[in-house]
Amino acid sequence: MSVSVHAAGVGSTKFGVLPARTLQSLAVEAARAALKDSNVPYDKIRYLFVGNFVGGIMTGQELLGPIVAADLGLSNVAAIKVEAACASSSAAVHIAHDLIRAGAEDAILVVGVERLTGAPREALTIAMTAAIDQGSEGQTGLTFPGFWGLIMARHMHLYGTTREQVAAVTVKNRRFGVTNPLAQYQKAVSLEEVMGSPLIADPIRRFDCCPATDGAAAVVLTSEALAQKCGSPSVRVAASVLVNGPARITDYSEITTHDGTVNAARRAYEMAGVGPQDIDVAELHDCFSIAEIVDSEDLGFFARGEGGPAVTRETIGRNAKIVINPSGGLLSKGHPTGATGCGQIYEVAMQLRRRHPNQIPQARWGLTHNGGGTAAAVTVHILEAVK
Amino acid sequence: MTGDLSRQGTVQSHTVIRVPGKSHAADAPFVLLLVRLDNGNRILGHFHGSEPPPINSRVSTSGAQNETPSFSIFGETA
Repeated sequence: MSVSVHAAGVGSTKFGVLPARTLQSLAVEAARAALKDSNVPYDKIRYLFVGNFVGGIMTGQELLGPIVAADLGLSNVAAIKVEAACASSSAAVHIAHDLIRAGAEDAILVVGVERLTGAPREALTIAMTAAIDQGSEGQTGLTFPGFWGLIMARHMHLYGTTREQVAAVTVKNRRFGVTNPLAQYQKAVSLEEVMGSPLIADPIRRFDCCPATDGAAAVVLTSEALAQKCGSPSVRVAASVLVNGPARITDYSEITTHDGTVNAARRAYEMAGVGPQDIDVAELHDCFSIAEIVDSEDLGFFARGEGGPAVTRETIGRNAKIVINPSGGLLSKGHPTGATGCGQIYEVAMQLRRRHPNQIPQARWGLTHNGGGTAAAVTVHILEAVK
Repeated sequence: MTGDLSRQGTVQSHTVIRVPGKSHAADAPFVLLLVRLDNGNRILGHFHGSEPPPINSRVSTSGAQNETPSFSIFGETA
């Protein structure tokens, strides 16, 4: 019999350009906040997973598990780094979830952390493209804006998705970011500003792209029994799924459908016993504005080709049936790659606990979707409010 | 990008890389095509031209099969 897993506590730093901060200090701040939030004693923690993508390339720092554990004052714990590109910390949450669900552990701390600013732009480009297969597609000059530019051009061709609909994703998420104190961008932008911003990889423009971000977020996962014993303000982890998807764009049979997301969602809905129609709030991996549209279709929120019109019909805004990225998403809250997965869980947990600055009324079911590389590592988590 | 590749195919999608990595800095901006070859394989390649061809255009390439292919327009649009 499997153990019910809870996110007993969550913590986060502000996301943004934080030049004075080290990876270690960001991770420790988020971890301490999550432990305090959970009421779980430090001596209950026997595993520490640190989700991080490019700490070595950007800062020269590796071995983050033991270093962060030491800075937290944790001893005799299994402390390791987990890497799955932009899905690093949600992949770590999945591993922690499965250990607790199997009854092997009772309390695990997961921290996601990244520093993406402060180094030359060239270093950032090298770091990000490390998630593209350098033995094949990397040699063509493919970048991640290029990857999503190819997807956007084809989505527009197949479904008639318009430039305005895609730009409306950025406008919506930047509007949410204005009132999220953790967000990197707290300034709204207009449709005209998005559509008039410089081209990066046609038809992707600058305001279609998420920023480079520093930050950390953390989650304390426990058994339901321990969460209750500690009086944790927990939410139930109803499903945690990690799957691989195509690792190269040429491996896709159709690039506007991300097999990893489709498969992860199918398993997550089955595990949680709910469907896409039951989800009240979702944090999706909108690394580029078109990504939110593709994700929303792959997750079953909208039929294929309906993701674009849904944005401009305000069917995913604050008062909609499903509210997508009320944190501001990666486009506005920011994308500290290794921290993003834990950051999404932080946001949804706060929604389900009725403590979010952009609170969705009556939210019971929340979903997070996090993708690494060419959606080659995908996680879907479904969380449920605890009465 | 090695093996028995057909050298003709159909454009599935396109982009123009304007902010490249260091290894392709001298080439930017350049057109990148996703092409479905007639043998069913899909490959990425460059394009002889500054504007990408429409999706479903027929393209062909020549040259060594272990290099990034560079496509040109060929025949009728699919």
